Amino acid sequence: MAQIIVDIADMRISKNPGDTLITYSLGSCVGVAIYDPVIGLGGMIHCMLPLSKVDREKAQVRPYMFVDTGMQQMLTRLYEGGLRKARAVIHVAGGSQVLDSQGVFKIGERNFTVLRKILWKNGLLMETQEVGGNRSRTISLDVGTGRFTIKSGGRITHYDLP
Amino acid sequence: MTFRDQIEQHIDHFAEMPPLCQRLLGYLEDPDVDFKVIRDTIQYDPGLTANVLKLANSVYFGAVQEVASLQAALVRLGTRRIFELVLSLNVSGRLVPALPGYGLEANELLRHSIWTAVAAQELAALLGMKDVDTVFTAGLLHDIGLLLLDPFIAEQHERFGRVMDEQSMAFDQAEKEVLGMDHAEAGARILERWNLGAGMAAAVRWHHAPNEAEENHSLVYLVHLGDMLALSEGVGTGIYGLQFSVSAEPVRALGLKKHHLEYTASKTLDKMRELENILT
Repeated sequence: MAQIIVDIADMRISKNPGDTLITYSLGSCVGVAIYDPVIGLGGMIHCMLPLSKVDREKAQVRPYMFVDTGMQQMLTRLYEGGLRKARAVIHVAGGSQVLDSQGVFKIGERNFTVLRKILWKNGLLMETQEVGGNRSRTISLDVGTGRFTIKSGGRITHYDLP
Repeated sequence: MTFRDQIEQHIDHFAEMPPLCQRLLGYLEDPDVDFKVIRDTIQYDPGLTANVLKLANSVYFGAVQEVASLQAALVRLGTRRIFELVLSLNVSGRLVPALPGYGLEANELLRHSIWTAVAAQELAALLGMKDVDTVFTAGLLHDIGLLLLDPFIAEQHERFGRVMDEQSMAFDQAEKEVLGMDHAEAGARILERWNLGAGMAAAVRWHHAPNEAEENHSLVYLVHLGDMLALSEGVGTGIYGLQFSVSAEPVRALGLKKHHLEYTASKTLDKMRELENILT
């Protein structure tokens, strides 16, 4: 059983049934796990910011930092690995916010908005959508079984394949 | 005895500023002190000297030209900044242990503090602000009050759980409600004892209530926003998660737009990693 940690602004893919992909402490960041149950392929990304246009230079070096460039590359790599759109099981978590009554700091909300748009444009549906609020979340994907898990504030929730 | 009284007593027993820093601060306040005395005081500790040089050459100062010796670092950066650097190196060690009351594992508070410091400094640089020498150190120290309050939070764990269930309450408000003092005030009390100057104490004191600061607004605002960015990125979120309020006033007063904040966040990650290697 190997645990593969997906760092902030990074993405990892595995096809090894013994692996678990995990990313810690999603605040306003969004984490996306994509799984193809037929070929046992899983990927996970941890994006910090919505759009790469705020820092194009950084997006060259760290495409996974941004939802737009990150998702594009993740999907490309997963399709190369054999993912079929119709089989993709997609889990999304994160997008929390600090308390922001005047709406000056909407990073979490913007991350999720951009993500939703990209998935929609690609004709992909979300199986799980655990976003918003003001807790941080740790997510994992068991590559062997496709089980997706969210840990938040002492609560653990499992999502098995549909 | 109220919690507040117990915390007051605890401040009395709380570790003093590291002796080396106390000595350096004394020299700093003495206009007649010889440069060499300051250099020798630091050089006495070779490990510290090496780390001071590493920091001086890191992104912390956006070094363009390498400083090869302590002497050169003192000349280039000035004694005040060198003192802050030594202090940063000393304080960072204290931010390493886990804080079970706050639900922070080992190194989490240090990472949160470095993130805050780097983000605050990046914002200052982006805005072309000059007189913000202390911004990095203030950012690094902003949550030092957590060290003082952690045992009390642990003891009152269940009450915090209940208060926190009222989703709308910010965690510093919950601290005030349960303990009669929040970690910002506790931290400022420590810094007042350390005599680090009004700006630094104000930045720590008002980092969750920037509108209440009477002076040193720039520094207070930068540390507040640095802290909010660190929390937003999920760096060092304990039992409180992201349950702190961001204030609109600093954003308005500094003329920041959303892309400024996001640009700062994008710059912070790599710089934070570089510093983490030096400070841990």
